[in-house]
Amino acid sequence: MFDEIKDYFRGKSVELTPEIEKIIDDSLERRSIKKGDVLLRQGENCHHTFFVAKGLLRAYTIDEHGKEHLLQFAPENWLISDRSSVLFDGISEQFIDAVEDSEVILIETGFFEKLSEISPGFQRFNMYALNNHIRHLHKRINLLISASAEVRYMDFIKLYPDILLRVPQWMIASYLGITPESLSRVRKELARKNFKPG
Amino acid sequence: MQTKNIELVLAPPAPHMVGDGFRVHNFIPGGYHLDMQRMDPFIMLDYNSKYYFPATERSRGVGVHPHRGFETVTIAYHGKVAHHDSSGGGGVIEEGDVQWMTAASGVLHKEYHEEEFAKKGGDFQMVQLWVNLPAKDKMSAPKYQSINNRQIAKVQLENDGGVIEVIAGDYKMTKGTASTFTPVNLLNAKLNEGGTALFNFPVNYNTALLVIEGKVKVNSEEVVPTDHFVLFQNEGVEFTVDALEKSVVLILSGEPINEPIVAHGPFVMNTREQILEAFNDYNTGKFGYLED
Repeated sequence: MFDEIKDYFRGKSVELTPEIEKIIDDSLERRSIKKGDVLLRQGENCHHTFFVAKGLLRAYTIDEHGKEHLLQFAPENWLISDRSSVLFDGISEQFIDAVEDSEVILIETGFFEKLSEISPGFQRFNMYALNNHIRHLHKRINLLISASAEVRYMDFIKLYPDILLRVPQWMIASYLGITPESLSRVRKELARKNFKPG
Repeated sequence: MQTKNIELVLAPPAPHMVGDGFRVHNFIPGGYHLDMQRMDPFIMLDYNSKYYFPATERSRGVGVHPHRGFETVTIAYHGKVAHHDSSGGGGVIEEGDVQWMTAASGVLHKEYHEEEFAKKGGDFQMVQLWVNLPAKDKMSAPKYQSINNRQIAKVQLENDGGVIEVIAGDYKMTKGTASTFTPVNLLNAKLNEGGTALFNFPVNYNTALLVIEGKVKVNSEEVVPTDHFVLFQNEGVEFTVDALEKSVVLILSGEPINEPIVAHGPFVMNTREQILEAFNDYNTGKFGYLED
């Protein structure tokens, strides 16, 4: 039922004992959603972390002029959530919706803590995942305040190798904090340097 | 000669849109028992059954996208498609024409309804077939074979039965117009009512047909209506198609390449590493650049 997330945990060296498997089977929920379906809205309380078994989700905010700002993409095997809402019981500032038809596994608040208490392997994984997330956020902040459009783009394609083919250009520009025209310039310049017609 | 019997007959699966210009039934690899391994070297077949697109000012189609590792074959039955690529190439595929594009190491292109056709609107009917390339040719230079209907080799059938267009491979000693990397037979049988055609392919070739127009009887027993797909067993060599009414039938038969297939979106390679390389090459501009 939850094969994708079990494989994901195993891939992170978490040993899945029968007890852990039972907790997974009993407490997770699977949902098929369509492109455009919204899992979280600004102003709501977020009660779940979402694991993407198939498809693609994104998290974004909308400013007072109605403009979208993309915070994160979550393709297969990614976790996505609004931690400030889940863990600090706050009202969410984000939207999370489906960019493609997706299969999502819903993880309730408390799941990670519960497994961390009974499994040292899971606790190690959870700490690593959290620190890795912080590392990425720091890198992202630094790139947004200091790096050129090209440097941001090069970092983006390393993190998300196949997203360029899956979403419209404006979404990538929004994630990078640049205009679509400037993304287009970066890609044109890369092609000028690297394209050698056969 | 031993008869090649039917393995299964498939009704057209529910259509989906590719971009906003192609309303297709996917037979390969999505159809029941029609996965890439079974149909090798045919790895994808999208069929836009005859569909009326109303007039529009902005041409419908599919935006910029890459391909690597295989060939795309577009057969136009009704309507016209214009295409452009990142090397500056382009053209129009007209009714009756075939475009055989060897994407190989990489093509970045877009495909739209041709402007005049889009403005007038009309019936649109096409097949897009992907033919896999052997590992040694996957990274060869891209090329096009733009084949207009007049250039396609033709075999007239006896008793005014109709004509066989030999797009690739051969039929009754007549060689097909397109060159291929591995043995592939691709034929359009345009049969008059009552016309009959006999086909003969090696036992191990993966073989199928698609009824584009009309209604036919296969091996004198199975009636196959318009838009239905027939897969043949890999036993026997010979089958017959009798036209119960004026019909057009696409016939495909190819020698399996029998190499590992790793497919992800528009890339079809032999290993996962080659797929990651394809994504990286696309992301870093090695396929060129093209405005949407």
